[in-house]
Amino acid sequence: MLLFRSEEWIDKWCQRNNLERGEVLTLQQVWEIAKPWYDNRLSLEFRGRSPEQVREIFKQAGLTSKFWYI
Amino acid sequence: MDNNDSLLWQVRHFVYNHFADTTLPPNVEETAAHFNISTEEAGEYYKELNNRHAFFLEPETLTVRMAWPFSAIPTDFKVHANGKTYYANCAWDMLGVPALLKCNAVMDARFTESNESIQLEVKDGKVTNSELLIHFPVAFSHWYDDLVFT
Repeated sequence: MLLFRSEEWIDKWCQRNNLERGEVLTLQQVWEIAKPWYDNRLSLEFRGRSPEQVREIFKQAGLTSKFWYI
Repeated sequence: MDNNDSLLWQVRHFVYNHFADTTLPPNVEETAAHFNISTEEAGEYYKELNNRHAFFLEPETLTVRMAWPFSAIPTDFKVHANGKTYYANCAWDMLGVPALLKCNAVMDARFTESNESIQLEVKDGKVTNSELLIHFPVAFSHWYDDLVFT
């Protein structure tokens, strides 16, 4: 996941690398996802996220398209 | 490795906390010494944790490359937090460091394609320059197909 200044630079990068465009989120959106995603990861009890937990994190962030399916 | 799931997860915990404390992962010898087990046994735990996507080893080695959000090698995403400087694997993980450590952070990052540098900050739970963009090139179901590209 790479950081871009604008949509224009994303399109340039995709064209130059001959790649289809994926999904684009703002820094704010990713920050909101990162908080639950990384919560508790330093704990001894952490065993990874279940598919249900991942779906819930994405759902809370409004990410419900096929791109985010598990 | 004997069938000790408890020790397996203790090894994961040790690797992550070593990364958080020192900015680097422990090598397999350090992990073996910490748990008073053989290097071979520690290596088997490393391989199993790699297989379970708990962290990511450099291919064909026992060297931890990624324990998310931390990177063991320099990247375009440098994160200063708690008096230490970490490297994050990607733009998402750059935000993952303060999320994981639950602290403020200053981040020196580089834009892809335009190649400009920028300093970002997470302070008191808010991120600056929040309108900037992160591109996810791969659908979630394929993230682990090629982690370095993802």
